[in-house]
Amino acid sequence: MAAAADCGTGAGSTGSIGAAACKNNVTSFQRKGPRASGTDSGCSRLVSIAGTRPSVRNGQLLVSTGLPALDQLLGGGLAVGTVLLIEEDKYNTYSSLLFKFFLAEGIINGHTLLVASAKEDPADILQELPAPLLDDNCKKDFDEDVCNHKTPDSNIKMKIAWRYQLLPKMESGPVSSSRFGHYYDASKRMPQELIEESKWHGFFFPEKLSSTLTTEPRSLTGGYRKLLQFIQNVIYEEGFDGSNPQKKQKNILRIGIQNLGSPLWGDDICCTENCDNSHSLTKFLYVLRGLLRTSLSACIITMPTHLIQNKAVISRVTNLSDTVVGLESFTGSGRETNPLYKDYHGLIHIRQIPRLNNLIYDVSDVKDLAFKLKRKLFTIECITKLTSYGTQGQKYLLPGHLQRKFAINKNRYFRTLHNLNKTY
Amino acid sequence: MESVVAQAGLVLLRDSVEWEGRSLLKALIKKSALCGERVHILGCEVSEDEFREGFDASVNSRLIYHDVFRDPLNWSQSGEALPGGPLGALQAMCRRTDPGPVTIALDSLSWLLLHLPCPALCQALCALSQQHSCPGGGSPAEPVRVLCLLHEELHGPGPLGALSSLAQAEVILSGTMGQASAHILSRRPQQHPTRQTQWFSILPDLSLDLQGGPPLESQPHPEPHTPPVDPTAHMTFNLHLSESERAAKDSLTLPFQFSSEKQQALLRPGPRQATGRIFYEPDAYDDLDQEDPDDDLDV
Repeated sequence: MAAAADCGTGAGSTGSIGAAACKNNVTSFQRKGPRASGTDSGCSRLVSIAGTRPSVRNGQLLVSTGLPALDQLLGGGLAVGTVLLIEEDKYNTYSSLLFKFFLAEGIINGHTLLVASAKEDPADILQELPAPLLDDNCKKDFDEDVCNHKTPDSNIKMKIAWRYQLLPKMESGPVSSSRFGHYYDASKRMPQELIEESKWHGFFFPEKLSSTLTTEPRSLTGGYRKLLQFIQNVIYEEGFDGSNPQKKQKNILRIGIQNLGSPLWGDDICCTENCDNSHSLTKFLYVLRGLLRTSLSACIITMPTHLIQNKAVISRVTNLSDTVVGLESFTGSGRETNPLYKDYHGLIHIRQIPRLNNLIYDVSDVKDLAFKLKRKLFTIECITKLTSYGTQGQKYLLPGHLQRKFAINKNRYFRTLHNLNKTY
Repeated sequence: MESVVAQAGLVLLRDSVEWEGRSLLKALIKKSALCGERVHILGCEVSEDEFREGFDASVNSRLIYHDVFRDPLNWSQSGEALPGGPLGALQAMCRRTDPGPVTIALDSLSWLLLHLPCPALCQALCALSQQHSCPGGGSPAEPVRVLCLLHEELHGPGPLGALSSLAQAEVILSGTMGQASAHILSRRPQQHPTRQTQWFSILPDLSLDLQGGPPLESQPHPEPHTPPVDPTAHMTFNLHLSESERAAKDSLTLPFQFSSEKQQALLRPGPRQATGRIFYEPDAYDDLDQEDPDDDLDV
């Protein structure tokens, strides 16, 4: 990442940056003119990689997570070379949806996929990817959703200052020609030909297990070690780390690991509080991050943190990942009947955002985020109603007020709000 | 209840000391046996004779019993014991090659959890319940149903949570006043989890009698009706406007609103082009000497 910082940002001469970038492969500078082909004959020409764009804040190369709302919350997208950790909701309905959006985005953009799972066959996961929404269809659906939301007291018209009457209205719906970030229809499947055209590698852990199950606990890093070797082989052979000079165009590797940390991987942190090999998961994340930083790849991991018994492990795992997003669905909890949450399906907590080549965090001001899965679209919205929780004890708190109080120590605030939400 | 429990996959029956689940397990086994499925039973907690009692001869002949109770550690060195212990037995069931729907009953999963490491057990259960194709290949997927009895008081939240996350359906037994009920949580792969409560009783011949609701005499007094939570109560400020306030708000002209009067005032030159005037009262310490601004510095 440091090398990328040297050549990614800043305003050096394009010639030297171009030569350095061939080795590091993480830049988005485009050079115009015929001089480009003369200077770098060994490396391919610097063209931007499909499906990526530089961040407006720090020049980092970003890929879309498959959900434009989440991209916006993360500051434009997921940075190449980082890990997005999703803390699963209790019944794993919405986190698997986010996982599939990430993979579907990779297929649409032509990225290479690597899918690892201990529960489902990767081929089956790919068959269940959602279909992308085409522009005219999604615009029609979005308009009809907006009409449904007209409430009776919408006759209060907003008076706008006269100077702004001529400015165009802000589009909050699917933008028709967005090449970065697409919308997906969760009710339809991706067309088969798109899946077959795409390049993907699958890692299904039960197949890689040795044929006889022995009763003594195998080394807990066994499953993780095999996965790391697999990822390393793919990165090396396909040249994502610049090792083989690529004649063809550079591409991004999207890695998706499902249910990491569950007992199906051979790890027992979900089963006991004092487990023997409690460091295998953290070692795995550390080595994975090293692999990602030296290659053109982005990784999504879903982890059932609600099952992890030792809370210290959760905080270590959070520190070792770059971006952490927690999902909390309302199914089965007392909040399903709370009128405050009747429009939503769950809460989204942005627990951590990385500081890549930056001194400050790129956190949005809005903390009360909820998501809902409409018939087709997955939207994330701020809870705009008054956030007071009326329980039997008539206790109420205003997270907005807390936000001002704890604005300085943001990381602790996230955990505080999470705990408070849990209590109520 | 039958539709939920009849689906393929892992079904956990969680019982407790007050509401035992072995009779429900036996009732479900009897139902599958009468449907013509083959039933494999891994018996760990009770002896084979005790387990088979209550079943009539036709059902008994269809049960394939793997006995781990009599000699779990294979001390008697006879050829009857299962190779590889209970885990080997589970593995052997994974590798069956006969076609047809199969029900596998584990009695009980608690015994297996106490004797085997949890991750290995979870992996074996997952392999058992997700058999989509025979190892020989070719034939279409046959549903495999795995019924497991789990005594939830014996285990901590860790293993219970891990097993619940693997299960396609979870049946928690409870009840009131002698009437048993089953809270069924079913998680189909692509759908939202659904919950339902079913009151039932097991007849002496191990058939399942489903009932509509709790018995009348045992119905508890209806709880005092709690009003739905109203988030707009107990606030320190006012969310609604009264009529007079609304009228006042509507008639207010905003400062940057370009109304017609303002437009006319700007278009018509006023009688006095009085631009703003500045009134300045010099203070005692103010320096009025424009030439040397640093005069008061004493340097």
